[in-house]
Amino acid sequence: MAPVAHVEEWTDDCATIGEIEAALVDLRYRHAHGGEPDLRTSVLTHLAWVPPEWQQAATETLAGLGERHPSRTLLLFPQPDADDELAARVLLECYDLPGLERHLCSEVVELRLRGMRSRAPASIAVPLLLPDLPVFLRWRGRPEFGSPVFEQLVEVVDRLVVDSAEWPDAPAAYRELAVYFDRTAVSDIAWRRTLPWRRALALAWPELPDRLTGPPAETALVAGWLRSRAGVEVVIERADALPVGEDRPPSDLLSDELDVFVRDPIYEAAVAASFADLP
Amino acid sequence: MQSSATETPARESPLLEGLELRRRSEPCVLTIFGASGDLTRRKIFPALYALAFRDLLPEQFAVLGVARREMSNEDFVAALEEAVREFGRDEFRPEVWELLARRTRYLAMDFADEEGEDRAAVCLGELDEEFGTRGNRVYYLAVPPEAMPKLVEELGERRTTTGWTRLIIEKPFGYDLQSARELNQLLARFFTEDEVFRIDHYLGKETVQNLLALRFANGIFEPVWNRQFIDHVQITVAESIGIESRAGFYEKAGAIRDVFQNHLLQLVALTGMEPPIDFTADAVRNEKLKVLKALATPAPHEVVRGQYGPGFIEGVPVPGYREEEGVARDSETETFVAAKLRVDNWRWAGTPFYVWTGKRLPRRETTIAIQFQRVPHALFEDASELRPNLLIVHIQPNEGVSLAIGAKVPGEGMRVRTVHMDFLYGGAFRTGLPEAYERLILDAMLGDARMFTRSDEIEEQWALVDAIIAAWRRDKPSFPNYPAGTWGPKAAQELVEWHR
Repeated sequence: MAPVAHVEEWTDDCATIGEIEAALVDLRYRHAHGGEPDLRTSVLTHLAWVPPEWQQAATETLAGLGERHPSRTLLLFPQPDADDELAARVLLECYDLPGLERHLCSEVVELRLRGMRSRAPASIAVPLLLPDLPVFLRWRGRPEFGSPVFEQLVEVVDRLVVDSAEWPDAPAAYRELAVYFDRTAVSDIAWRRTLPWRRALALAWPELPDRLTGPPAETALVAGWLRSRAGVEVVIERADALPVGEDRPPSDLLSDELDVFVRDPIYEAAVAASFADLP
Repeated sequence: MQSSATETPARESPLLEGLELRRRSEPCVLTIFGASGDLTRRKIFPALYALAFRDLLPEQFAVLGVARREMSNEDFVAALEEAVREFGRDEFRPEVWELLARRTRYLAMDFADEEGEDRAAVCLGELDEEFGTRGNRVYYLAVPPEAMPKLVEELGERRTTTGWTRLIIEKPFGYDLQSARELNQLLARFFTEDEVFRIDHYLGKETVQNLLALRFANGIFEPVWNRQFIDHVQITVAESIGIESRAGFYEKAGAIRDVFQNHLLQLVALTGMEPPIDFTADAVRNEKLKVLKALATPAPHEVVRGQYGPGFIEGVPVPGYREEEGVARDSETETFVAAKLRVDNWRWAGTPFYVWTGKRLPRRETTIAIQFQRVPHALFEDASELRPNLLIVHIQPNEGVSLAIGAKVPGEGMRVRTVHMDFLYGGAFRTGLPEAYERLILDAMLGDARMFTRSDEIEEQWALVDAIIAAWRRDKPSFPNYPAGTWGPKAAQELVEWHR
């Protein structure tokens, strides 16, 4: 990955949507080359719901993602106990383009939704979505399925990206997740993490193990996959690490999910099969 | 190669769907004839390294380099390592190189020598034993045209009976229609059409393939991609370099055989073709062939040839073509061709395709420019500043697409100016673009012929070139007729009036 060539920044502790939009335009023109602004080639809007305990992890994952997926990223940090305000930090991260003076820029908008603003995040995010491009919602941690905040954000996005390995109650929580399959496409980074494991099992077919050992979410998904695809039942044993897999950074795993634009019926079937025999 | 799993037993697995398994060739030996040449050093081996780097080569794989030059295995591998370090697009990783290097052998022999061919067969058998390549063969024929027929014959007579055989044939494919036809007939004696992969590396370029995506994956272009909406098309393959060390080849070939006959006409075919019924090799090639068959022979005044004289490139003085080493002082070889081509079919009748190629032009650029019709009525003031819409597909460099549209100048009144909307390929997809040879070698190993030219396409291309050359024979050209560093002869500028 190329390093960020330069970053333009604008902040306001009490911002309006209009001011944020104006700042986005202003930042692009601030670094013009011979009258021509840097390029903004966007392929999606990346919306992330980041509760305080996930802030650090979200920032780390985001590093470099803008270069791989030129986009507008809206980071929503809920702060329900603060005074009502919308605090914004707008960043224009620009990367070198080989052979050109102009840079390629990605926009990152950090929004602190304070007080009652945290209860209506969709009304803040929707005006800032790039028109006619897919919207991905990365929900950090375990979503409160059915909560007004979750419901309104799911309603405005094309794809929900979760990592069920972040949930304390997987696979039981899959039952709640599956309800959303007909409303929006769902990606699960835990499922992506099992890809090398599933490849190894597929290539070993028909010689399959009778037990799977690994972390709860990933193991439940692979067991559900074997049950739904091949009618094979396995015993699950818990362990900290995956038996097969590469040590890929979270940003790479999320990056892979941002390349997927359609529903994944194989994942959905695996999820459904993973809780089929749970009480 | 790093994978420990084989794919054979997994074919019937119900678990395979959705696993994004890489396209990986069956085991095989890649034999490169002409292995001591520049192509192997600059393109073929860097491409193989890039494939190994991405784990796209089969686990059971070997390379046999064959050339006349006496050289030890170790020297050959060492020279290739240097080439990969110099020309590879990826960082050099010793462990990746080692995988390739220990599967690589070199054999010094004459292509036309039966005894040599016997030695090659023995060597290939040994590689089968050592690396489990099962008698599968990919022969890469990067040899001079005069060596091609004998080599094809020798390979045909000794073709393996235990595995499959595929031939990659490097350009030039023949010298004229007759020689191309003879070579096709010779190939057909020993090989089926789906075993022959005639390479035109332009077809392996991502941006050339993106032309198909632009046309057939977007609903907005195809309805206006015809004579009703398009005024003309211009395809430019411009090079700023001279002939470098290729005088021997170039003196015989010239620009018309070097670029026009293959790259330019393939770009015309891809730009003008109808939508294929699917994306299989034959469906795509059938549609390209129809365009090539519909190309009318241009009248003599519709073709301009040129040869560069001394001039300047980027401020540096460069010699004229006749002063280049190995070139005759009175050479009549053209280094520039421009032509107005007509595609006589329902879609394109009346819409000319201007094609343009040359050496020592001001810059290196390959573009396809689609100029749409002017608006029928000038509604706004000062409309002279408003140019027709122009869609430019940038093949190289700065790969991408730009669209020129009219936009209102801010302020009072209603003045309209032309502005460009740019899509930069590398801006939207931030992965390195694979080199054409990576894609094409892998495709040939997989037996996928979509991006290779078929025998009938080649023959149609040569038929047009032969007709143009026949007309040239009637006149002695007045060369040189353009200084290096300019856009070619004045007559070409007049032919393509709108160009610059």
